[in-house]
Amino acid sequence: MKALCWKGKNKVQVERVDDPSILNPRDAIIRITRTAICGSDLHLYDGYIPTMEPGDVLGHEFMGEVVETGPELKKLKRGDRVVVPFTIACGQCYYCKHDLWSACDNTNPNAWMMEKLYGYSGSGLFGYSHLMGGYAGGQAQFARVPFADVGCIQIPEGLDDEQVLFLSDIFPTGFMAAENCDINAGDVIAVWGCGPVGQFTIRSAFMLGAARVIAIDRFHERLRMARAAGAEILNYAEVDDLIEELKWVTGGRGPDACIDAVGLEAHGSGLAAAYDDYKQKLKLAFDRPTVLRQVIQACRKGGVVSIPGVYGGMLDKIPFGSAFGKGLIFKMGQTHMHRYTAPLLKRIQAGEIDPSFVITHRLSLDEAPDAYRTFRDKKEECIKVVLDPWREAEAA
Amino acid sequence: MTITTNFAPQHGEKEFSRRPATSQLETTLTLAAGAALAGIGLWRRGWMGTVLAGGGGYLIYSGIADIRRPYQGRVRVGFTIVKRPQEIYDFLSDAQNWNRFLHGIHLESRGDGRLRLAIGKPGRLDFESRIEVTDRKPGEYIAWASADQMFEHRGVINFKQAPADRGTQISVALEYKALAGPIAHSLASLAGWHPEQVMRESLRRLKQLMEAGEIPTTAGQPVGSRGLSGVTKRVIYREPQTEAAAETRLAGD
Repeated sequence: MKALCWKGKNKVQVERVDDPSILNPRDAIIRITRTAICGSDLHLYDGYIPTMEPGDVLGHEFMGEVVETGPELKKLKRGDRVVVPFTIACGQCYYCKHDLWSACDNTNPNAWMMEKLYGYSGSGLFGYSHLMGGYAGGQAQFARVPFADVGCIQIPEGLDDEQVLFLSDIFPTGFMAAENCDINAGDVIAVWGCGPVGQFTIRSAFMLGAARVIAIDRFHERLRMARAAGAEILNYAEVDDLIEELKWVTGGRGPDACIDAVGLEAHGSGLAAAYDDYKQKLKLAFDRPTVLRQVIQACRKGGVVSIPGVYGGMLDKIPFGSAFGKGLIFKMGQTHMHRYTAPLLKRIQAGEIDPSFVITHRLSLDEAPDAYRTFRDKKEECIKVVLDPWREAEAA
Repeated sequence: MTITTNFAPQHGEKEFSRRPATSQLETTLTLAAGAALAGIGLWRRGWMGTVLAGGGGYLIYSGIADIRRPYQGRVRVGFTIVKRPQEIYDFLSDAQNWNRFLHGIHLESRGDGRLRLAIGKPGRLDFESRIEVTDRKPGEYIAWASADQMFEHRGVINFKQAPADRGTQISVALEYKALAGPIAHSLASLAGWHPEQVMRESLRRLKQLMEAGEIPTTAGQPVGSRGLSGVTKRVIYREPQTEAAAETRLAGD
């Protein structure tokens, strides 16, 4: 089959690899019909996530049709149309049973590595470094899905691939980010980053009852998309002091919750941003926590800081005194995908949201290497790329 | 040096033999002092220099010779498994289950409470150790000790009910005198044969097998061409080298 492989920093390439096969009793093989490039894939592309190996198959947002099932699979059968969540969960451990799916104990074959770095290991993820298990990803024509009856969500007739594909990551991720804010009537929510996750966060915040959402970015197309959802927009490149601006537009209170939908590759301005940039370039740090500092500083007293953006290592110059002084609540982490797939599918069916709004580019798998560059450099007003792994093959 | 297993010093009455053991620190200090003395000696020259260099050379020699002296260590590993203590005890009592989860070692029952432990995969390494189960209490603990002086070790597996619905805390405490010194010990770590790694990964796999019904793996999944750096990383990350053979040509070629 064809698969997109990571080959090193700034280098991905479509290669011919073996078709996947059933390796464990609860595996399924999926023929992928649609797959997407995630903002977090760019962290891999830019070489910021350690333990990638050349030849790793990328991709963790995918869906398709079940073509083969392991002997122990009960719920799934051949021909089922499914979306695959990007976190892999066993369904039986303490964490799975307590709805903390991305903390699953039993799905990371390289758990020892993550234990060394983080103390404990979370669940395995598709196509996201060997630290996270080294599973082959879904920017390919087929994928092997472990514990398929726990994760895969069956898609009923009448819904397009594009409407449900983002149940694999960014819709639940945006939703959890908003849910983590414990939104009450009248709340003002500020969202840093209007990329795909930010867009879903904004819409989820409104679904959960936010009175106002303030969307922060510097790219006009992204701000436009945020405004279309009803958000007030703030271009941080056009204001002198973002924190003061947020104070001003909230009557001096500050936002009730601040969401960092940016993560480790934040761009900022001024001395602090340059400092982070050089530190990262000198390999003294994995992360550039510019946005994290801002959300802590901007949040109102006793408010919530919610972090769907990915961070990898030790952070520096975090205003923890401010967080303590204001009594902030922090919520973060990989999305507990399995908690959200079914309820969010219902919202899509009910017509509350059509997630395909976020797609700007529809390409074939062969075009993926160019698409990574376009998406990373935010060229062609690129916000979300969806790939059809069969398009070129069928035409040929 | 007398060492005791903290968790249950009463199990396993045997003391280790009196062969001298060495430590990582001892060897490091010996080698460092030897190198320093030899360096000063070579720099000073003359008869004093010769004496210093000779002394340094002797220390380096004895540091390296430590490889042949046994190395003594202890390991404590604990996991919580969402099963009852008796269930885990019963699973472990069935010899057929052992090699489904053991990592880096192979264990066979020889009857009469005696076991044969082989390090590495059977047939690939001849090294083995005979083991006796010295004490056991169903659902509570199993204690063992080595029955020969080649590789001395003893330990105890404890089962303890965890609070509320958290299952069973299973812990292994073990002490051992390895065959060779600190340098060999470091090499064993790289190969994944350090007793701590063997115990931790074996217990982890036991948990995975008992809770999830399978042990997660990526061995045999599709992969692009790895190149030299990819293969090197797999050794460092202790991942299986038996991936599906990848075709290196580009799609569409």
